[in-house]
Amino acid sequence: MISAFDTQRRVVVTGLGVVSPLGNSADEFWQALIEGRSGVTAEESSSGEATCVGAARKFEGKIDDFGPLEKDLKKTIRKALKLMNRETQMGVAAAQQALHDSQLLSVGYEPERVGVCFGAGNVSMMPQDFEAGVRACSDAEHGFDFHRWGTEGLEQVAPLWLLKCLPNMPACYMAIYNDLRGPNNSITQREAAANLSVAEACYAIQEGSADAMVTGATGTTILPFNRLHAQLEGQVAAPVQNPETICRPFDRHRQGAVIAEGAAALVLEEYEAALDRGATIYGEILGVGSSCVVSPGRVVGRRQALANAIGAALRKAHLSADDIGHIHAHGLSTHRSDIEEAAAIRQVFGDRTSKLPLVAAKSNTGNAGAGSGALELVASLLALRHGRLFPVLNYEEPDPQCPVAPVRSEDCAPGDSFVNLSIVAQGQASCLAVGKCA
Amino acid sequence: MKRRVVITGIGCVTPLGATTDELWNGLTAGRSGIGPLSLFDAENFPVRIAAEVRDWDLWDVGENPRQWAHCPRQTTFAIGAGLKAGRSAGLESSRIDPVRLGVYLGCGEAFADFDRFTQSISRTETGSDAEREFNSTALRIFDPDAECEFEPNLPASHLAALFDAQGPNFNCIAACVSSTQALGEAARLIRRDDADVMLAGGAHSTIHPFGVTGFQRLSALSTRNDDPATAVRPFDRERDGFVIGEGAAVFVLEELEHAQRRGADIWGEVCGYGSSQDAYRVTDTHPDGRGTATAIERALFDAQLNVDDISYINAHGTGTVLNDKIETLAIKRAFGQQAYQVPISSTKSMLGHATTACGAIEAAVCLLAIKHGVAPPTINYSTPDPECDLDYIPNIAREIDCRHVLSNSIGFGGQNAALVLSRFDEASAAAAVLWAA
Repeated sequence: MISAFDTQRRVVVTGLGVVSPLGNSADEFWQALIEGRSGVTAEESSSGEATCVGAARKFEGKIDDFGPLEKDLKKTIRKALKLMNRETQMGVAAAQQALHDSQLLSVGYEPERVGVCFGAGNVSMMPQDFEAGVRACSDAEHGFDFHRWGTEGLEQVAPLWLLKCLPNMPACYMAIYNDLRGPNNSITQREAAANLSVAEACYAIQEGSADAMVTGATGTTILPFNRLHAQLEGQVAAPVQNPETICRPFDRHRQGAVIAEGAAALVLEEYEAALDRGATIYGEILGVGSSCVVSPGRVVGRRQALANAIGAALRKAHLSADDIGHIHAHGLSTHRSDIEEAAAIRQVFGDRTSKLPLVAAKSNTGNAGAGSGALELVASLLALRHGRLFPVLNYEEPDPQCPVAPVRSEDCAPGDSFVNLSIVAQGQASCLAVGKCA
Repeated sequence: MKRRVVITGIGCVTPLGATTDELWNGLTAGRSGIGPLSLFDAENFPVRIAAEVRDWDLWDVGENPRQWAHCPRQTTFAIGAGLKAGRSAGLESSRIDPVRLGVYLGCGEAFADFDRFTQSISRTETGSDAEREFNSTALRIFDPDAECEFEPNLPASHLAALFDAQGPNFNCIAACVSSTQALGEAARLIRRDDADVMLAGGAHSTIHPFGVTGFQRLSALSTRNDDPATAVRPFDRERDGFVIGEGAAVFVLEELEHAQRRGADIWGEVCGYGSSQDAYRVTDTHPDGRGTATAIERALFDAQLNVDDISYINAHGTGTVLNDKIETLAIKRAFGQQAYQVPISSTKSMLGHATTACGAIEAAVCLLAIKHGVAPPTINYSTPDPECDLDYIPNIAREIDCRHVLSNSIGFGGQNAALVLSRFDEASAAAAVLWAA
């Protein structure tokens, strides 16, 4: 019998899955990171203006993108694809990969003991879902007539349309396809969601309400409303000639964020059980911190929020700042966010900051919303596993206002533990402390 | 030692009123909050009724509504309920370490501006560049301030700002169990020593053309347009669906000793929480009610209680044919023979279905039941259904000495969550302190 409050249970990562602008598997993702490749390309359009996007181009939303599946499950998922929006598809694909990688479901956990806590963003309305209805209520002269919607438009909307708009669908489909009947939640804290989801999943295992959890996050800033929000928030870089050079966190000539999409999933498992079954252990979840700082007048305090989150995560992990081997920065590549992030890091790590290796996978992928935090976490777990870090792409000229130490060489060691940082424009920050499993 | 989590403040904004007293008086009198849908012109819609929050704005909490005019309706509810909760707990006059005060909400998805969305579509030609063209039209016509407020992390950021709450900051969306899970997980963050005080709950409104379209297409809504007050009939044989509601409830959850040190009034205790998944279908609950039963069993286990310790169940009870039948099965599955003894009611019969906010509002109802020793009724119950054969407290509130109560929530996608809320017991608190010493 497991005590409900046994906080001694250790939680480790035993499976990884990735859908990203750098490829559809953790291996492809890692290969691109160490080779310093960019997943940012120009988005073609007939109007000639080419927006730079980190699109997961290899992910076509086809069943073969979901990794190895047994026959019946393949059939089931294929049938449901049209009911899922793209974020849900990416999240589910990453989760199937992670479950396959961990071999978790072949070891006979009770379905009630395995759950899901996944991060997701605002689900975009898709114009095409309403197109038939709107056209049915429009004429050339007057445009759309709302008074006809209730009788002529509404019934043109697909019966299950509403479900497509719910951010809990990734977590629900993961549970349904894999018979995971344990705790199930979806965190919608934008870029901060991945670390928070991992933390909540970790607590479910530590407190004994589950023995294993699927976690991670999926997100996009490409789909219509996510793109609109990113554009309206005014952080997106203007198009350039060489799209692969546009995302340059902490570089003096950075010009803004790059819209992107992606998902990453992790399987978390109780340490002893993982050890007993000889699972691959990528790392151990050591601590989490979360904060939000917005002062009166709605001035967002990104620096203080991040510093609070890092401080809380280190305390939870019983680590000092000196124990941390590298930082995975949020590295949004906007002028302001990077300055504030650098200041937060400096506030916690002091003079050591200039020697502390910092990586930022957004330089390769762009900002995939909630998905980014998870992709970055996976990147650093792979760095622990391979014993090496990867360079921050396009980091050429240091910005004196960002006194941090982005990795430029190929032979930089990741250390035994790292912190993964995420921050949202509205002031929410999260930090996860992760270590090698000793 | 286990850190205990008590409730030191509650705030609500509901179709029956925006104070706990108004809410309670309405519920115990069996008053329906459902009426003609007035928030948009629904004249030609198949459904023209809703449980709306009426005659309320942010002046009620001293905020100028014009300053929040760009926010979706549900965000104003979250702010109203949050400020009321914080003030009732005396947070503003207590010196609470900002990093130990957090926010965990279950505020639901917000939808775009329907008028501008449909305009953008009707102005866009179909073709390969449709998405791009939609984007450029949308960029021109949408209100930037309002659009950015639709992101689901915003209400939690606003509450953090209002209280300088620099601690953990979460929002979850798990369909209709969202705010139940927000309360359960927020309590866990306090138990795990990540915070001492959490503002937790949820807010939602789907009373807009998108919401009515979506639920109508799912065939979930009652179409008793001619008699709004009797439209929601949970567990009654003649039930035909739910009525869309809206509102918010926010709690101040606090670590027991922290609350006692600052002399806060204690409403009750969060003793148990359980979450589970049917792992069956996104559209239907499992026909055996297995997931719902698991969530209830987990919450009882977490609270270290037996089924006969529970004096009242506030059911999810949406009033759809399927929900009420399966929830009844699930209660039998979890409670065994005791299912026939424990009084159950659905306050959605009066409040409608506030979607992601329903769990928090119903948790508030449970605390009021504990406080007053009365359980609210299920109204509109007239024709028994052989498949729903438990005690649903038909039509008239009942005096019940509520020591431990269970609040149950079920959501689309197969989501389930349950909370056990308890009367705060001084004696057992003293014993726990002695034991710790």
